[in-house]
Amino acid sequence: MARNKFDQDEVLESPFQWKHLKRAFQYIRRHRTQMLLALGLSILASIASLYTPKIMEWVLDEAVPNKDVQALLHWAVIFTVLIAISIVFTLIRSRIMAYVSQEIIYDIRKDLFHHLQKLPFSYYDSRPAGKILVRVINYVNSVSDILSNGIINSILEIINIAVIVVFMFSLDVTLASVIIAGLPIFIAIVWILKPRQRKAWQMQSNKNSNYNAYLAESIDGVRLSQIFARQEENCSIMKRLAEACRVAWMRAIYVSNAVWLSSETLTQIVFTFLYIAGVYWMGGKIVSFGVILAMGSYVSRFWQPITNLANIYNSFVNNIAYLERIFETMDEPVEVADAPGATQLPPLTGEVCFDHVNFGYEEGQTVLQDLNLHVRPGERIALVGPTGAGKSTVVNLLCRFYNLRGGKITLKCADGSEQDISQVTLESLRSQLGIMLQDSFIFSGDILSNIRYGRLDATEEEIIAASKAVCAHEFIDQMPMRYQTPVNERGSGLSQGQKQLIAFARTLLSDPKILILDEATSSIDTKTERLLQQGIEALLKGRTSFIIAHRLSTIKSCDRILFIGDGGILEAGNHEELMAKKGRYYELYTAQMQAA
Amino acid sequence: MQPIRWLWGCADKKSHVRIIAALVISAVTSLMLLVNPSLTATLVDEVIIAENPEPLLGILAVMLIVKLVREGTRYLMIVLLETASQNTVYDLRRILFAKLQFQDTRFFDRNRTGDLMTRMSADLDWCRHFISYMDYAVVDCVFMFLGTLILFFCISWKLTLCLAVVTPILMLITKLYSGKVRPLFVAMRERLSEMNTAAQENIAGNRVVRAFAREKYEEEAFERRNAAFRDSQLAINKMWLSFYPFIELLANSMTVITVFLGGFFIILGEITPGELTIFTQLSWALSNPMRQLGNLINDTQRFATSATKVMELYYGRPHIADRSDAVDHADMQGAIAFKNVTFHFDRQEVLHDISFEVKPGQTLAIMGPTGSGKTTVINLLARCYDVSSGVVEVDGCDVKSWKLQQLRGHLGVATQDVFLFSDTVEGNIAFGNQSLTEEQVHDYARIADADEFIRKLSDGYDTLIGERGVGLSGGQKQRIALARALAMEPRILIMDDTTSALDSETERYIQEQLRHLPFPCTKIIIGQRISAVKDADQILILQDGKITERGTHEELLKNRGYYWETYALQNDLPVEGGAA
Repeated sequence: MARNKFDQDEVLESPFQWKHLKRAFQYIRRHRTQMLLALGLSILASIASLYTPKIMEWVLDEAVPNKDVQALLHWAVIFTVLIAISIVFTLIRSRIMAYVSQEIIYDIRKDLFHHLQKLPFSYYDSRPAGKILVRVINYVNSVSDILSNGIINSILEIINIAVIVVFMFSLDVTLASVIIAGLPIFIAIVWILKPRQRKAWQMQSNKNSNYNAYLAESIDGVRLSQIFARQEENCSIMKRLAEACRVAWMRAIYVSNAVWLSSETLTQIVFTFLYIAGVYWMGGKIVSFGVILAMGSYVSRFWQPITNLANIYNSFVNNIAYLERIFETMDEPVEVADAPGATQLPPLTGEVCFDHVNFGYEEGQTVLQDLNLHVRPGERIALVGPTGAGKSTVVNLLCRFYNLRGGKITLKCADGSEQDISQVTLESLRSQLGIMLQDSFIFSGDILSNIRYGRLDATEEEIIAASKAVCAHEFIDQMPMRYQTPVNERGSGLSQGQKQLIAFARTLLSDPKILILDEATSSIDTKTERLLQQGIEALLKGRTSFIIAHRLSTIKSCDRILFIGDGGILEAGNHEELMAKKGRYYELYTAQMQAA
Repeated sequence: MQPIRWLWGCADKKSHVRIIAALVISAVTSLMLLVNPSLTATLVDEVIIAENPEPLLGILAVMLIVKLVREGTRYLMIVLLETASQNTVYDLRRILFAKLQFQDTRFFDRNRTGDLMTRMSADLDWCRHFISYMDYAVVDCVFMFLGTLILFFCISWKLTLCLAVVTPILMLITKLYSGKVRPLFVAMRERLSEMNTAAQENIAGNRVVRAFAREKYEEEAFERRNAAFRDSQLAINKMWLSFYPFIELLANSMTVITVFLGGFFIILGEITPGELTIFTQLSWALSNPMRQLGNLINDTQRFATSATKVMELYYGRPHIADRSDAVDHADMQGAIAFKNVTFHFDRQEVLHDISFEVKPGQTLAIMGPTGSGKTTVINLLARCYDVSSGVVEVDGCDVKSWKLQQLRGHLGVATQDVFLFSDTVEGNIAFGNQSLTEEQVHDYARIADADEFIRKLSDGYDTLIGERGVGLSGGQKQRIALARALAMEPRILIMDDTTSALDSETERYIQEQLRHLPFPCTKIIIGQRISAVKDADQILILQDGKITERGTHEELLKNRGYYWETYALQNDLPVEGGAA
């Protein structure tokens, strides 16, 4: 598995491709009506403002010399009305475009988040969380403007340029050619700068992502850093990362700003040549006074949109580095997905069958080999064995967190059918399983909402009942705000055992047909554990359960104990049978009893 | 404005020089914009109308030079500001990161990761934006506006006064709009932080999400945040658009006043047509800065909102820090004493009147029900929290008088919640002690019985393990965490439920190894299993924050209390008659 560390740049797999643009265009296309409307309004607004110089001309050439105050007022009113119209059009356009740009980033973010929900554990396991986060939040924010206003403005500028070009050429072809002659040079400059610029911004986004990754990790692991008195070392790592950000940014800045610098310079050079050419021709009476004046003003009116375009292009190249990252994430393959035509899993009986199951987390690695297991409804199964033998893997496969390498797992349903877990929807599968994971994650919110996560429509009474069953009610009741006590990811005030109890209540509340407890009570004291076992006894009736535990005393009463090792089941039977067998389980059990 | 003063204070001397130089360039070059239009007028008068090509090249050369100098210095200006802003942000990142590293546990109990991330990324970026762009944009606008006004004033003070009339209106609008839009920016910043938190927790808790098939629920919850963020942006836009027509009208009024009132003034004979031409040609130099106003107000408010958030971090002081009279301890013996320690967390009593002593080299075990305060004892010893009353002493000296780095530098904690970093296995083990040789790292891994499985990983000790060590089993993580604690070569080794996910064989092996550590140390073991605690010199039973039993294994068994009961439960002995 290719893993990534906070200070490693993520190599972008694909070179720049137009498909990114095409893809971005799909987000824009949903709003094409609004965007066309906005474009139309912009054009109308600029037509309205096009007339204003004309009016100024009339006023200064006719009304003023004639000392016609009446006409002056008359034109002033028309002028103001035109401006007002232009303002109203611009206003509507701004409002539309604000919606469009917000909708675009809303959609991109939604799709990105949606895809993240489908990605396999291995995706999350192989990179720092901060690198994923920065894509969802920061990168998406960055691309919004370029995909909305950036596009409209480029179209407007292109229209502008086209209009000016027509005007220029209709006026004087030679001088117009002089003005346009600068363009190939400019395009050449942009072309040369482009790869450097792209590389520089990619580098910058990489460094920024590294910075964020380390930041997130440092905040989450801050307690550890403090206890290990590691802060100074961490600060020097951060210094290195921040330094890399700064260097990458500055490198990008030097290149990026060269674009407008060259377009502004070229504008003036073109202007110079225009006048030299104009006056030279004028000497031969070729070009009229009015023409050269007009052409002079066209220089800036032609080159200004070009400069604007260059700026838009600039931020485009800058943001495409982010866009690539976003799409790259959306392209991450979904390993475990609903099969085509996957059906809803009907209510289960609790009967489970592992049929010649093979599995390894990575290519060439074998964790489970030819595992066969048949579990009757309501049976209580314990999985024991050395650390790392694959106990968790067995239940992970049942939940279909990973796809099998071979064989199949089937579940018996109440309607009599047998369903292969790879042929039913993930949602319908997992919602009938209750899995208590080794690490008990607490979401920020209150205790109530954390337990309710198991079943969203659970009433408060049901939540309290579940808490009572797992012996969590007592301590929750003693907290300052009881079930409303705010908690967060880091637990704030909850001990590890208490977090585990909350997670346990959450699992129980989901009312699963098959219950999976992976070291569910490892941090809980023996007495509470026993009380908990009594408390959930009634709840376990009629449910199939898989229990993974190291403390064998907690699983002694299970219907069947499976000793997992060497990629399969080495021993199976109830406690008495296995003890009589005097095999691996017997060794493990007696060792534990002696130790105590 | 306070945020600006703060930011200026954060920039170093060199950055100050750079910023001032850049702003001078900005002021001068914004005025230079007025030069070329005037030269064009000269060009028209003297070359074209006069049909005299002689001064042409001269004027063109001057114009080209003016332009080149202007754009060249503008480029320099941008480089100066970018450098200054990058250096300042670089410093801020370092300073704020250090602040975070040294903030106390309570701070992190209160602040969500997502919010802290927002401060350190998006909010800091607005500080960068302020230095690299906003300051010169303001100077540009002000100088262009004032410069033009002065130029106009020299030509016709009457007409200029009429133009200047809008200035107070402009100021009023600025004030009004700033006040109205500020709370919207604060709200938007909150929505951003909430969205960040939602995404961050979804990523961190992705296993739980999958396990409960809550993807749809998470998506809906995130979409709500996503939509709230969008709406908060739109609210700002709406507010802006309600002011936009007025600002735009005022900007355009520059042209209207110039042309029509100017025309009227010509009729009255107040000014000449030639003078009005200059007015009309340069009226953009008044209206453009006004058009910029809206953006500048928005950016300023956004900056102020973000800077305030960053300043909170910047000025935040941890409650737990080295006291000025902290004593220097070159070494630690490992003697621990809790004297009548009571501790409250959020008004709730967690520990009550705890007293015990451990001599150097001894082993203390703590056992007790979930939530009885076992880990809190460790937290107080490491001074993650300060006691509410009583004293915690190490080597006969109050931990509050120790230097934190020295105190913690001698502790080796194998924490209950195993947090691993996205680093190599070796990097994780040597986390607290980088001076270790590779050989030593392997030795400590061997003591923690981790060497064998580590060698089986794809790249052995150089295998990158993801954050939180996902991909490793619970027992494997615990052993790496133990090796990490051992690698500190601590004077006090703390094992907080370190062997709970280990099978008993492994546990016994590790216990045996711990008896022959290559360094002397006091040990504190927190455990639920009798096997983990029974060999300790002293065992404390903690219930509801109070010590209810204490003694050796044998003594406690005679006691027939909680310890005996646990012993009985774990050994399948009948419990009746016990103090249940």
